[in-house]
Amino acid sequence: MDFLNALVVLSNFVLIPAVAYGSQLALGALGVTLIYGILRFSNFAHGDTMAFGTMVVVLVTYLFQSWGLSLGPLPTALLALPFGILGCMALVLVTDRTVYRFYRQQKAKPVILVIVSMGVMFIMNGLVRFIIGPNDQRFADGERFIISVREFKQMTGLSEGLAIRTTQGITVVTAIIVVALLFWFLNKTRTGKSMRAYSDNEDLALLSGINPERVVLYTWLIVAALATVAGTLYGLDKTFKPFTYFQLLLPIFAAAIVGGLGNPLGAIAGGFVIAFSEVTITYAWKKVLKYLLPENLEPSSLVQLLSTDYKFAVSFAILVVVLLFKPTGLFKGKSV
Amino acid sequence: MSNNPYQDDRGNKDASITKTGGGTMQVSTGTDHAMSTDEAFLIGDSMTGGYGKSGPDILHDCTIAVNKGEIAVIVGPNGAGKSTAMKATFGMLHLRQGSVRLDGTDITGLTPQARVAAGMGFVPQTSNIFTSMTVEENLEMGAFIRKDDYRQTIEQIYDLFPILRDKRRQPAGELSGGQRQQVAVGRALMTQPKVLLLDEPTAGVSPIVMDELFDRIIEVARTGISILMVEQNARQALEIADKGYVLVQGRNAHTGTGKDLLADPEVRQSFLGG
Repeated sequence: MDFLNALVVLSNFVLIPAVAYGSQLALGALGVTLIYGILRFSNFAHGDTMAFGTMVVVLVTYLFQSWGLSLGPLPTALLALPFGILGCMALVLVTDRTVYRFYRQQKAKPVILVIVSMGVMFIMNGLVRFIIGPNDQRFADGERFIISVREFKQMTGLSEGLAIRTTQGITVVTAIIVVALLFWFLNKTRTGKSMRAYSDNEDLALLSGINPERVVLYTWLIVAALATVAGTLYGLDKTFKPFTYFQLLLPIFAAAIVGGLGNPLGAIAGGFVIAFSEVTITYAWKKVLKYLLPENLEPSSLVQLLSTDYKFAVSFAILVVVLLFKPTGLFKGKSV
Repeated sequence: MSNNPYQDDRGNKDASITKTGGGTMQVSTGTDHAMSTDEAFLIGDSMTGGYGKSGPDILHDCTIAVNKGEIAVIVGPNGAGKSTAMKATFGMLHLRQGSVRLDGTDITGLTPQARVAAGMGFVPQTSNIFTSMTVEENLEMGAFIRKDDYRQTIEQIYDLFPILRDKRRQPAGELSGGQRQQVAVGRALMTQPKVLLLDEPTAGVSPIVMDELFDRIIEVARTGISILMVEQNARQALEIADKGYVLVQGRNAHTGTGKDLLADPEVRQSFLGG
């Protein structure tokens, strides 16, 4: 019984939140890794691209709410998601036409594009704060829990409860669907294969008649969709605040690099590695240990390795360790 | 102008003894050596040029031609501009002089991609496959510009290179050197080109694999595809060549059928090691 209780506590506070957070990071890291693989630079503006897409979703959600439109138990944001994706696609395409395309035509070295993306990041960052303001926006509505603590206790008779929030359920389900669609697209369709070919060998792709501008266009469209979905899921799970999205850049990059930049599978694995490390290291283990250890060994402190304020230090530390010891990442990526 | 002493009148202007205004047209024909470009399907005609708009000239009045269904081989010492000459026919070199014609049409101004669409296939010397993609996906990418059904062509390539059929689901990067070259040639054949350009197809493969590759190349040529090939292994390459070009410092040094060149004492002496 003690063991089961420990397991329930662990699931409630570590496993389930980490799976949800990991899915969000994985979707973000997929976008970063796609840009890296195909446009060959690390896109620092990715966090703010997510913020822009999510902002459109939030605004459209507010509009729908004012019209009284809703999805019942599901959050209205899901209904607004397609509009957010379209808005984000428009943004990245305008950015690509006005900024990145110039540097592609100059055949600029990728490092220049990295710095360019930083400039884009600041502009997008300002744009989002200008439109929606720097404050927290809560836009999640509908049913709050799939299983609440009280229901769970009644169902099982355990003294510890387990809650699964609707947003966590939606996050995982959406992430699975999106990832499945993405892999199907990359591995089975002609356009997806041409994107992989371009990423693999640009010259040969050109000789095979693959149009680079077209590949770049599709990449941006997919990245915009991924970024908006990731941002919206994160916003539903927590809240939407532009600055948080800028900060998300670190765990997302850590995830992409841990998994191996340019490798979509790696991005997903990396997302979960980062999420689980962050959550387990900043979690106070006292409650779990109380159930597992004999009474005389019961810890008196919280057994929290790091305060949650330092959670970014975890992804940063992992990033440094990976770059030092396995620069190509867990799966074979391209960065060295 | 001329150094013919009989044409020097030592400044005579006396019209009372000579009448001015005779015929001045000079007749001079030929290059004094056979260029054999009469039936050329693909010809890089007297090409002069180098990399970039301002780079030094690498090719000097160099002519390379290949007839329909024949194998032409470019050989020569290191740094003779063999690969450069072939790349020039494929639009990867800035030509200051000369032209490239495919089946009588001038293609000098076309980009490499456009030349692929016009019926040329090119197999670069290095990174000539998509290493992270399977053999079959490599072939599919080769057929990217084709809008019709290309399954038939894939089957033909599997018939030509049976080993690829067994490895169709394997990433091409995991194959051996010889198999990679087969994938590379197969990919270029997917567009059903009329001319195939091969840049040192046997570089870095064992002699046995090399012989097999040459056999396959002959088979490809028998299907009516012209082949222009740069080779380091001059002797073996000239043995299968209908026409050989020996380049030295970006110039045509010797031209002839493969057999002629192999028999030519000068060519043997300088390039084939006796």
